[in-house]
Amino acid sequence: MNPSESAKSPRLFSPYDAPMWESIAQGCMKLQWCPDSNEFRYPPGPACPVSLSMEYEWRPISGKGRIISWTVFHRTYLPAYPAPHLVVAVQLEEGPIMVSHMAHSDLEHIRLDAPVRMVYVDHPDGYRIPSFVFDAVA
Amino acid sequence: MDSSTSSISAVVGVGHTDWVEDYKRVRSGEKPHDSYGYATQAFNCALRDAGIARDEVDGLIVGPTTAYERMGEILNIDPRWGGQADAIQAVLQAVLAIKSGMAEVIALVYGNDQRSAAVQYGGPEAMGGGAFLSYVYHSAWGLTSQGALYALMYQRYKELNGLDDSTLGQVAVAQRQWASLNPNAIMRKPITMEDYLGSAYIAEPLRLYDYCLINDGGVALIVMEAERARKVAAKSGTKPVYIRGIGRADLNSKATSLGPRLLDFYLPAQNKAAKQVFDAAGLGPKDIDALMVYDSFSPHILFALEGFGYCGVGEAGEFIARNGIGVGGKLPINTGGGHLSESYMQGWNHQVEAVRQARGGLGNRQVPNCRHVQYTSDVAGKAMSVIYGA
Repeated sequence: MNPSESAKSPRLFSPYDAPMWESIAQGCMKLQWCPDSNEFRYPPGPACPVSLSMEYEWRPISGKGRIISWTVFHRTYLPAYPAPHLVVAVQLEEGPIMVSHMAHSDLEHIRLDAPVRMVYVDHPDGYRIPSFVFDAVA
Repeated sequence: MDSSTSSISAVVGVGHTDWVEDYKRVRSGEKPHDSYGYATQAFNCALRDAGIARDEVDGLIVGPTTAYERMGEILNIDPRWGGQADAIQAVLQAVLAIKSGMAEVIALVYGNDQRSAAVQYGGPEAMGGGAFLSYVYHSAWGLTSQGALYALMYQRYKELNGLDDSTLGQVAVAQRQWASLNPNAIMRKPITMEDYLGSAYIAEPLRLYDYCLINDGGVALIVMEAERARKVAAKSGTKPVYIRGIGRADLNSKATSLGPRLLDFYLPAQNKAAKQVFDAAGLGPKDIDALMVYDSFSPHILFALEGFGYCGVGEAGEFIARNGIGVGGKLPINTGGGHLSESYMQGWNHQVEAVRQARGGLGNRQVPNCRHVQYTSDVAGKAMSVIYGA
């Protein structure tokens, strides 16, 4: 990671969030994987909710997922995201559902279960953040 | 099923602040009271309604927006049992305290100066994250409001069931119809489906009319052990309204990654809470004369109808169209106007309306032969319910 970027980070809700955001900054998002249950978890946390094991590895995720739902913000709540802003809920191939965003121009093609893949974009506050684009699957 | 919590307690007094007047005053820049002031006003009204003296109160539950000790200090109540809870949890806890003999006369008081204090439910300073991580965790992507979480939930429901915008519009239109008959309601001007469909999206598919109001106010209830309630009511000439059953089931697993919300619409929790509350009361959905649903956003009503067994999964829109939930409908819902049109008292005003409907005498908004009123809430997957009956 570029050291100059480390000062700019998204809000961390627990100490377990930091390694995830570091992996995002490097363009390869990782989540905690539990060797006992073989489960990935999101958001990051101290233990696997399935096994209660506190052992884990940070493993890269495939970045592939499918659309579970979406909403368009018609009001600007955050300067970083002027309206209209398309927020999506994506179920990752690894299981967890993740909230993210897509370009508003994707709205006309969005539908339930549409395959998407993760890309990394710049947040105006100065950090990298995962976003999604449609995945052209054969 | 255990029905030992059934009819052991009753609401003997309800009170609230003047939501309409305070809404006007706050909009014109005044600050009539803080949260404690509103709660105190409501408490005084509830005591008068119950016809009891303050010193009879031996239990105190305060809402989440006031500190327990300071509230007790202001009301000068040193109870033998107390706590802090949201509306439905407060009712459930009062029943359990009475059941276990910890208290006999419990004051439930709530005050909230959310509008005059400019409390933010969305945006960078959104509140609620301390209790529910899902309310704030996704802010880096621009999702910050509870309304947007319901928008995500309803969008999926809408797609799965192939619905158009007018399905959800039925809720706001019906509740405004009720509010137009309620002098305590802040928004009383009737709206049509055309008005609804012409209103702006906030977090699409939710429109302005799908959102609750934000206003100042307070609510209080006096819950009493049933035998004592009968005596008190006989003296004051009022009807005690019994708590016939309570139910609760929570979904915490995967709450922040939204699984129970987006994949299950909280139905498993509502199903369990429904079984508990109906079994305890010895009743079913067909016995309920009026339904009160926690409605920070209008989709709550559809999910509650399905979760509590009033109709099948995916059928709520059709159920509403066929039966009617507004004035003259077969299943009156949120007959005071609810959070959308009466007042946003975070579930507390629904208890007052339920009690008043069960007592009877509400004039042109009285539900005829109203014997059983159910209240349900599903805040962040915590499904809870109570059935009131006179």
